Amino acid sequence: MNILRHIDPADGVAVLTFDRPGSSANVLDEAVLRELDEHLAVLEATPGLRGVLLRGAKPTIFIAGADLHALAEGGLSPARLAPVIDLGHAVFERLARLPVPSVAAIHGACLGGGLELALACDWRAASDSAATKLGLPETGLGILPAWGGCVRLPPLIGLPAALSLIVSGRRLAAAQAARAGLVDAVAHEEYLEAAARRLLARGKRPAPRRRLVHLAPLRAFVALRARVAVAARTHGHYPAPPRAVEVCVAALGKSHEAGFALEKAALLELAATSAARHLMGIFLGRERIKKSVADPRPAPPRVAAVVGAGVMGAGIAWWLAAHRVPVRLQDVSPEALGRGLETIRRLAAEAVRHRALTPVEGRAALDRIIPIDADTPLRGVDWVIEAAAEKLDVKRAIFRRLEARVAPDAILATNTSALSIDAIADGLAHPGRVVGLHFFNPVHRMPLVEIVRGPRTAAAAVDSARRLVLALDKLPVVARDRPGFLVNRVLIPGLVEAVHLFREGVPVAEIDRALEDFGLPMGPLRLADEVGLDIASHVARDLAERLPHLAAPGDTLERLIAHGWLGKKSGRGFYTHPTRGKAKPNPGLRALRLAPENPASRAAAPDRAEIVDCVVLVMVNEAARCLDEGVVDDADDLDLAMVLGTGWAPFRGGPLHHADALGAAPLVARLDALAAGGRPHLEPCAALRARAAQGRTFFPASPKTP
Amino acid sequence: MSPVAYIAAGIRTPFAKAGGALRGCDAVELCRAALASLLARTGLDPAELDEVVVGCVGQPAEAANLARVAALRAGVPEAVPAFTVQRNCASGLEAVTQAADRVIAGRGGAFLVAGVESMSGYPLHFGRRAADKFAALAKARGPRARLAALARFRPADFAPRSALLLGLTDPVCGLGMGQTAELLAREWQIDREAQDAFALRSHERATAARDFLAGEITPVFPAGFPPSTHDDGVRPEQSLTALGRLRPVFDRAQGTVTAGNASQLTDGAVALLVLGEEALRRSGLEPLGRVVAHTYAGCDPARMGLGPLHAVARLAARGGLELDDADVIELNEAFAAQVLACRAAARSADFARAQLHRSRPLGDFPDEKLNVNGGAIALGHPVGASGARLVLTALRELKRRAARRALVTLCVGGGQGAALWLEAP
Repeated sequence: MNILRHIDPADGVAVLTFDRPGSSANVLDEAVLRELDEHLAVLEATPGLRGVLLRGAKPTIFIAGADLHALAEGGLSPARLAPVIDLGHAVFERLARLPVPSVAAIHGACLGGGLELALACDWRAASDSAATKLGLPETGLGILPAWGGCVRLPPLIGLPAALSLIVSGRRLAAAQAARAGLVDAVAHEEYLEAAARRLLARGKRPAPRRRLVHLAPLRAFVALRARVAVAARTHGHYPAPPRAVEVCVAALGKSHEAGFALEKAALLELAATSAARHLMGIFLGRERIKKSVADPRPAPPRVAAVVGAGVMGAGIAWWLAAHRVPVRLQDVSPEALGRGLETIRRLAAEAVRHRALTPVEGRAALDRIIPIDADTPLRGVDWVIEAAAEKLDVKRAIFRRLEARVAPDAILATNTSALSIDAIADGLAHPGRVVGLHFFNPVHRMPLVEIVRGPRTAAAAVDSARRLVLALDKLPVVARDRPGFLVNRVLIPGLVEAVHLFREGVPVAEIDRALEDFGLPMGPLRLADEVGLDIASHVARDLAERLPHLAAPGDTLERLIAHGWLGKKSGRGFYTHPTRGKAKPNPGLRALRLAPENPASRAAAPDRAEIVDCVVLVMVNEAARCLDEGVVDDADDLDLAMVLGTGWAPFRGGPLHHADALGAAPLVARLDALAAGGRPHLEPCAALRARAAQGRTFFPASPKTP
Repeated sequence: MSPVAYIAAGIRTPFAKAGGALRGCDAVELCRAALASLLARTGLDPAELDEVVVGCVGQPAEAANLARVAALRAGVPEAVPAFTVQRNCASGLEAVTQAADRVIAGRGGAFLVAGVESMSGYPLHFGRRAADKFAALAKARGPRARLAALARFRPADFAPRSALLLGLTDPVCGLGMGQTAELLAREWQIDREAQDAFALRSHERATAARDFLAGEITPVFPAGFPPSTHDDGVRPEQSLTALGRLRPVFDRAQGTVTAGNASQLTDGAVALLVLGEEALRRSGLEPLGRVVAHTYAGCDPARMGLGPLHAVARLAARGGLELDDADVIELNEAFAAQVLACRAAARSADFARAQLHRSRPLGDFPDEKLNVNGGAIALGHPVGASGARLVLTALRELKRRAARRALVTLCVGGGQGAALWLEAP
């Protein structure tokens, strides 16, 4: 039983409490919908009823949405989906048409189908708790709200606001939702039901007022603007947001039944797209990782120490503190600590500005960070994360001194992105406690953390790291201690390839635009600027030295660096980065007169397809090589890490999914052709050749429409 | 044998001139920084604490029980209570003795103690008259009544009163603290030259002790300001000529007390860990020393500067230690005139008989024992923190000398003296 019904004899209000047994979340599946339907049937026949109140019994979740696992297992086929869509439409409509008023008392996450259920009520009251979030994230999964969300939301809050909410998938806090008109009352958790009952006293909700903006000409203009905004963001790769715009606009002013038919048709169409399949796969992959630890409750450290207060150290210290972990922050001088603390204060101010934390929570998080020096004993510290300079001797010295200062069971992690974990652990009494914990920059935004397992790293340390990362609301992927680990190992060759193309004479903007159109979140040269050309050059050089099959970056980056062009941080790199306004290709590059490095080997300038293939396929090739080397355990982890760590074309599912989509044989043929055309490092790896020869794919064939 | 109270560890922020390096921190933040740093350095699990005690003279209005606010913000669990104590210039010492008394009485074994003052952060007050008019304005209903209430204000109502100045004036005898020092200077014939020479000595000694004092300092990182890492009131280049050029502040015509030979207005915080035997053993800390005896004594508010003698005599009369027993003495330098008056009066048999009710003079404050690392004239006097600072510095000096006993004593505005005997552990 998922829903409890209780009719309060005092005021004649029926309370339906959603409480999925054995789970911390309420979700909607066929069984829950049927149960709700039965309750509604009973209520329709109950005499003297004054109103219906919906509430959740979970501490942080009202209703998280439809049960995606159940849906995905069915392969998203129309035969499976259509009846579920119809059922949701019918039950929610039955709720909406109850003769008595209804209200949703929302505390905790109210997302997707959960919000669509709440929208079917006459009124909505929300608690002002930080756990309360309202949103329709469906388009992020390649589909659209199809249980009446596209039909009910626009009349309620107006078409522009509704489109923005549906297309962005944004989650609103209670106060924001109230301002938007999505909820009718905001109250403290303790007073939520009382507030909801007061709303019931208003009776059935009157018909929504007519909005000027819904008149045909204005509506067309709003729709046009939404379409243009969507196109600019998606490069045409994501079919769901524009489709959702169409449905919302078309359904406005029509009957519910007509609107529901539009939703259903759109959903069935979208669910069949590869984008939806991949986005759903990524969502399920994230869920799988979250459940990957034996102990489901992640254990944060009692006290953590962060060594190094630079950009990464400060970012990590802040993220720990914001997740209620007391932090000791160490650096070599008060000045270095002072700079780190100022960085952290900026992060705190940003978190407060974005309402991720209240001002009091923000200050409490700052208070958790205690600056220390290298002589302070680390008694009581059970996690140390080192984020000092990327120099082996520096790190070794730090670890040797750390080992003397910490308790014997403390885990020592390094945030290195390039050095070998095993080399850092060398010479320690207990090398088994050393593990890599590779956070990405900026720490507070990047969802992925690579856990790097050295040959001597103890299993317990890896497990502990996994739990720490999950406790910090990040997603861990375990990689082996190979050069570049996983993400940089796959990403950097693409970046180097882009630099080569630039050297061949292809304009900066052309390279980046081609790859953004392919689906990378940022062109590779722009990315190099963001990372810093000095760092990019160092990492690329280091990788090429340790992995001879990779192309060396040449002297291009060095020549830019010699001009003081380090990328964004120096204001100039491949682009100029004004403090305000958009970055533009650096006009000074022409004056550098970088001669093509091997002009004789190629006849024609590379066209757009070749630009994309060079950069993308070198990454695909490297990803396949990593998988065969065992850098990660499986293809799922690999693609997930690339999507989460670099934003690698989520709608394509990641580099190995892309390889499957291309087909191994055509992929190998294309790589062979590129290699023969003067790019020997694009030679397909053995892993790809074998798959091409045997006709194997990286992933089992996805369940297709029967 | 009764329980022993150990000073197990201590740390302090830099002492910074008011309005200077630490003006970006309020008293709570200063106190939090000191408490958090001490907890981090000792590795003590704050859940093991019995209570937190903080001395502060001018508690900020926005943190009515400063100790509680600072303790929670420093990571002390909610279950550990906290209270704030005020005994003017001895507030920091009061916090130490409150904790020590509890340990000795068997009422707890682990106390986190602090003294703090943000003299940058002292507010300006409206007078009572203005406050009444504001209250009337708030109560006024309707535009006419509000206008009438507004009309009652006079320009003088908006003249702010400095909480700092008010705090430094004795409301009973009506004298400012500086004026009580002038009184002592006259009565004990402490001339300007002697005062300036003593002030110079304070700076010279503090300058020489810079590295030693650095060992008790934890840097503070005020938001938006550079880190504060060292005491900034010490003037290595101080000279008698420079001191001689300063005008008297409290008695412009005939006075001798100047900004140069008085203690400085300063921001700072000191944190100490007071542990009983058992808690000390569990902590694994090497203690700095232990508390032997202490007292507070009352005296003439107009001659509050002689308070230390009253307190020391009182302990001696209890059959305790005499001034001569001290290997190290920290006598707070409120004013050079006041320290020198203490010295003179301690040698006086007349004073001993008339004021201390003892037959022989109290004794001597020998140069090689008294304030050997400088004092409040050079380092500054964050009033609520100084008492705790003297304990920390005295014990560290005792350790360095491998000596046995230290005496910490302060004069207290309002006519009191404080004295505390410490011993090597």
